[in-house]
Amino acid sequence: MRWISTAFVAAMGLGLFAAQHPAEAAQQKYKIFLSMSYIGNDWQAEAANMVKAMAASKDYRDKVDLKVQVAGPNATRQIQQINAMVQQGAQAIVVYPISPTALNEVVRNACARHVVIIAYDAEITEPCAYNVHIDQLEAGRVPAEWLVKKLDGKGNIVVITGVPGTSVDTQRTAAAKAVFAKYPGIHIISEGVGMWSQAVARTVLTKILTTHPWNEISGFWVQVGCYTIASMEKEAGIPDNQLKPCAGEGSNGHRIQMLAIGAPGVEGAHGTYRPMGEPSISYASPPYSGALALKLAVDVLEGQQVPKFTKLPLPIVTNETVKLCKEGTWQEMEQGCNVFQPAIISNPGWFASIYSAETPETGLQAALNGKPER
Amino acid sequence: MSTIAVAARGRAPWRPRLGRHRGLIVACIVFLVLFFAVDLITPGAFSYFELHFMSAGGATLALAAMGQTIVILTGGFDLSTGAVISLVNVVLATSMGTSAFSQVAFFWAAILIGALAGAFNGFFVAFVRMQSIVVTLATMFIVQGLTLLVLEKPGGTIAPGFTAFFSGDAIPHLLPAPVVVLVVAAVVWLLVKNSRFGVGIYAVGSDEEAAFAAGIRARVVKFWAYVLSGIFYGAAGAFISAQTGSGDPLVGQPMLLEVFVAVVLGGTLLGGGRGGCIGSIVGSYILMIIVNILLVLNVSAYFSSVAEGAILLLAVLAASLNRRSPIAFYIRLARDKLAARARGALASAHPSHGAAPQLPTPPAGKPAAVSWFARHREGLGMIVPAYVGFVIVLLASQAVFGNTLTNPGYFDSLLVLSSFLAILALGQGAAILTGGLDLSVPWMIGFIGILTAGLIRGSDAVALWAVPLGLVLGAALGAVNGLGIVLLGLPPIVMTLAMNGILQGAALLYCNGTPSGFASSAQRWFMTGHFAGPRPVVWFLAAFVIFSVVLLNRTVFGRRIYAVGNSPLVARLSAVGVGGTLIGVYALSGFCSALVGVLLSGFSGQASLGMGDDYLLPSIAVVVVGGTLITGGRGHYIGMLGGVLLLTALSTLLEGTTLPSATRDIIFGLVLLGAVLALREKRA
Repeated sequence: MRWISTAFVAAMGLGLFAAQHPAEAAQQKYKIFLSMSYIGNDWQAEAANMVKAMAASKDYRDKVDLKVQVAGPNATRQIQQINAMVQQGAQAIVVYPISPTALNEVVRNACARHVVIIAYDAEITEPCAYNVHIDQLEAGRVPAEWLVKKLDGKGNIVVITGVPGTSVDTQRTAAAKAVFAKYPGIHIISEGVGMWSQAVARTVLTKILTTHPWNEISGFWVQVGCYTIASMEKEAGIPDNQLKPCAGEGSNGHRIQMLAIGAPGVEGAHGTYRPMGEPSISYASPPYSGALALKLAVDVLEGQQVPKFTKLPLPIVTNETVKLCKEGTWQEMEQGCNVFQPAIISNPGWFASIYSAETPETGLQAALNGKPER
Repeated sequence: MSTIAVAARGRAPWRPRLGRHRGLIVACIVFLVLFFAVDLITPGAFSYFELHFMSAGGATLALAAMGQTIVILTGGFDLSTGAVISLVNVVLATSMGTSAFSQVAFFWAAILIGALAGAFNGFFVAFVRMQSIVVTLATMFIVQGLTLLVLEKPGGTIAPGFTAFFSGDAIPHLLPAPVVVLVVAAVVWLLVKNSRFGVGIYAVGSDEEAAFAAGIRARVVKFWAYVLSGIFYGAAGAFISAQTGSGDPLVGQPMLLEVFVAVVLGGTLLGGGRGGCIGSIVGSYILMIIVNILLVLNVSAYFSSVAEGAILLLAVLAASLNRRSPIAFYIRLARDKLAARARGALASAHPSHGAAPQLPTPPAGKPAAVSWFARHREGLGMIVPAYVGFVIVLLASQAVFGNTLTNPGYFDSLLVLSSFLAILALGQGAAILTGGLDLSVPWMIGFIGILTAGLIRGSDAVALWAVPLGLVLGAALGAVNGLGIVLLGLPPIVMTLAMNGILQGAALLYCNGTPSGFASSAQRWFMTGHFAGPRPVVWFLAAFVIFSVVLLNRTVFGRRIYAVGNSPLVARLSAVGVGGTLIGVYALSGFCSALVGVLLSGFSGQASLGMGDDYLLPSIAVVVVGGTLITGGRGHYIGMLGGVLLLTALSTLLEGTTLPSATRDIIFGLVLLGAVLALREKRA
């Protein structure tokens, strides 16, 4: 027992030493914490990389002392974590909230102690918190309208939702269903729970296909899964020009598949990760929101006026607007490219909506490796 | 026997008493060390504010862990904890008014909801004599569904008075309300513990037969133990409602694993009879203070799960490391062996005659023919229910969709989807047969999947060596689980959970947050192509099932698994290498998880973070639905396979409909419960 306590105290001592050093180097830095939820999925990791890149960029590296912590999926732990951050003297806390409501009390507490709380991607309903996210109703409605139009208002569609019980999923699905309800010719024949994961989407669709074969389905409205759906259509022997319309996620694989067949300059394509002219619309909850939230937090600390809710423009890419990036610099994305080379992004499930006019510090390298543009 | 008596005589009278509370005492020390470490580093003195938020932070977990402890003391397992907390939370958030009457009424409503859920569990466990893990798993799904029916997304409000009462100040600047809540809960527990009922809980958990023989109404005690645990969940639900001031249908579920860890950290023995709720309170606060430790040490995000796993292991080790701990035992054993070898006194060195027991000569004439059914009645009783359920689900699918039974594609897909769970069932099943559990399944799948896909990157040539490498690595990491359990004497649940965290960190570090690998074309063909009709993996599954049945029932290793599960002590005395068997079992489980990781990345075409997350609870569920006893020693792989088919067919049926997920959860839970009703234990 004793050696363990000694080891702990020694470890603490080391931590103390390490923690004090950078703090002495730059007194003027803002002390900002990032409280992430569960880190074990692709979106979260990408968003975290972009936040780190922002903190390491030229304009911010001398202003910001960023510490990143993970709360896991448990809301009570995030409450504890935010409290501990406040106690540690945080000036601002950037949060990926596990729950839009469960953090309200602790956030109110933090605000009372003049800590800036800013939530990205998901929402905190407590009015003193700043929020940075897209309009989820719009994210449900726009793709649904596109799908209805593509199907001329009639057909059997399959819906694949996100994580049940979350605000994001409920709002998106409700908005989409409200659109479908307006068209008596549209029938939702099956509704799968996709958990925002390509892997789960495949399992779910495999199950659905056992009872609803391909020829019964005319289109898909999904939150994540178009890439997987097109891959499964190819496995079933459906030719490229008969792929079914899919309104879905902003994964790189999906957008590559949306490129016209034989699109020039695509490097590293293989299997179903290739241009196939899939009729599609791609929307996304963009992973740059955390980086932007950090920027806004600094703005608030510097005394600038920042609105409580920063509504991010919904990134929408259709077959007409999908455009390949060569290197993925911010400048290049500003010119309108929105999908990356399979040779660089070998994971087709990777989220490609990383461009924001507001964040010239973060490009492709930021999302991949946490390296800022400058 | 005599050594114990001598030892007892030689020691001060308080020693045994202290020994009995060792777990609790060590937990307190660990907590204090962590607490002072945090306090030392945190700038400023420990203030009332800090006391307040720390006490509030761990209170929900502590209340939930207290409820879980009571169930575990009776020898059970409760998976419905988190779901019940969520249900209480959403009911309060949607229905509570702001009047004082309403607030008081809804506090009691919270307790009542918890008690009812507990009574539901208790009825099936105590009176219908079903395994607690299955009953509570079914309850978990049903309650989860009800929760979503009450509130489909986060929202609702809790009256501010309610919040102030439970998570505010009892005496401003002196005593935070959460401390009072916990003291009241602790007093309730201590009163129960010292009552006849409390003695009954411990007695039933130690040995139900003996308790019954001693005149304790074992069933009644069990039933009320579940009700009492439900009351604690209700209190936890009320507290989290007060703490968050709102409702969220998903708030409780992620707490489940932490609740178990808190209980184990607090010194309560899984399997029943030893421990107590006070330790669980301390265990909960240890878990919560780890959050602060990670923050003050500024442990980077990718390392946090690793650090957490390490702290967990150290904390439990501290409680178990002494002269009687297994590692000391093995060291002594090795020393004795060496000494014996030096003296030439090893057992093998003794001259001996080969055993030649005299068997009675069989009576002349043909023995009376015993039918195959009669001989296997008991085994069939465990296996058949899952298959009956499976057939019913098949008929239901046919009735709903009209094109399943005659459609070979349906069975092809069903078997492909079943293959993952069928493989996991062997590993998890073997672990459960020895009386353990393997919680490292999710990130063993994820880590090996990401690692192999990262190496393979679409190349069949690399896959030739990367896949075997991944499988061997999985087995080796599994063996590390086994080593920890055997040599360090760690509870399997702790060792494998810590391993899960470490592997999560390893996966994140390996891919730097973005898994970039993808499966080779042969891997994809294996999962999605066709070979002589069905997909290749279906043929593989058939071979795997034969392999599993032979391994568990026709090999020495298999028989040893059952022997260890029935009684490690008897197994050891019968010259079964208990340690070696356990290490082998966890290596097997690691191998199976690794295999699923490889197959899943072939199925999806790529590996992704969190790809194994959805397989932990199902892997346990199928094993138990297949008739396996969670406490070990009884079960058959064919039964587990039946469990796999039943659950896969059921989720396939539900996925094809447009029912809301709340209704699906409820149906899933009810079918689960119905399927295993036939599995209830007969009175011995």
